[in-house]
Amino acid sequence: MLISVDPNDSRPIYVQIIDEMRRALVLGTLAPEDPLPSVRQLAGELRVNPNTVSQAYRELERQGVVEVRRGQGTYVVQASANGSQRRALARDVALRSLRDAHRNGLDAEELIQAIRSASTSHHKKDAR
Amino acid sequence: MTSPLPTSLHSSELAVTTRALSKQYGALRALHDLALQVPEGAVYLLVGPNGAGKSTAIKILIDQVRPTAGVAEVLGLNPQVHPALVRANVGYVPEQLDWGYGWMRVGRLLEHHARYFPTWDAAYANRLAKSFALKLDQKMSTLSKGQGRRVHLVMALAHRPPLLVMDEPTDGLDPVMRDEALGVLIDHLAQTPTTVLLSTHHVSEVEQLADHIGVLRDGELRAQMPLDELRRDLRRYRAEIPVGWQGTSMFGDAVIRRVTTRNEVDWTVWGEESVVAGELVGAGAMVCESAPLSLHEATLALLTQEIGR
Repeated sequence: MLISVDPNDSRPIYVQIIDEMRRALVLGTLAPEDPLPSVRQLAGELRVNPNTVSQAYRELERQGVVEVRRGQGTYVVQASANGSQRRALARDVALRSLRDAHRNGLDAEELIQAIRSASTSHHKKDAR
Repeated sequence: MTSPLPTSLHSSELAVTTRALSKQYGALRALHDLALQVPEGAVYLLVGPNGAGKSTAIKILIDQVRPTAGVAEVLGLNPQVHPALVRANVGYVPEQLDWGYGWMRVGRLLEHHARYFPTWDAAYANRLAKSFALKLDQKMSTLSKGQGRRVHLVMALAHRPPLLVMDEPTDGLDPVMRDEALGVLIDHLAQTPTTVLLSTHHVSEVEQLADHIGVLRDGELRAQMPLDELRRDLRRYRAEIPVGWQGTSMFGDAVIRRVTTRNEVDWTVWGEESVVAGELVGAGAMVCESAPLSLHEATLALLTQEIGR
């Protein structure tokens, strides 16, 4: 499973880990009954404080996405990839893009048009 | 109104505290009224320019330096009263590598060091030495600065102390070894409950590891807080202002960095975002951006702020 965190992102690192796990669920790279990497393993890979990973796992457990099985580890329980989670993910991406657009002096309409035209040329390229 | 930078934590379980700690070297004031608070289990980052008093503070904690006034408490013990007990429970990586054992080979030095620590884990020490690419039969006097630092890291970690005190632990390490050392430290923390107090000039290296920060300037604590708080409440605001704007001195010392042009302000301000933005808007400025700072930018701002007197 590929997940990454960015120290320059405005979201706290534990939130980034939660978001990445939810993204993996929506994309299907994580499915129910899959184990999450151990705290030690993920902290080592991401080079973050193990407490931060624990915090993210605790929050995911509280949200009912994963459960801790004693002596075995943490497992995904929640089936996902439903419409509402995809919409939530899209909303997050949209908000990030909008903030970036505003920072560059663009308004929402200009951004939407640019996305449409970029997406069209992207598809054309794929078709070739 | 915005509040001043916090210098006191709301944590009850503290692994390290100092109260009214001062150190005077003749006319030179190295530390003044220092109230360090390192919560149990924290990774506490002590930052400050050279000569700010970081090493002096650290050495007082292990009784290598005696304070002029005030008192330190390390794991519930006063290091001046229980120096041996404190040192037995602290893994210390000194800033200056000073062996006095140049003729010894690395392996022999580790064995020698182990005698002082009942909790020494020899198998772990060997694994650490291997991770750090140390040769046990190499003479200490022939080690590079980076290799010497790695030997110190092994000596500090292998007895799994409840407290690690590290003064510039990555100084002299190449980028690959810095990353390795970070990985080793993270793995250590995942296995062994440890409080870490570390000083460094390279804050971006440990940004994802640290959870508390203390900013030391001229022997005084400028700020002390959880890093989440710093990330949330120290922000850079860009706002457009009308010509002849009256608010140029708003917020006083809560503005850590103040760049004001004819039609724009670019300020780094300490305070709750909604309050700061609200007051800017209330004063007639149009806020275009409010962005958090990287740890590097934040510490630089705090260390270069011109403090009003």
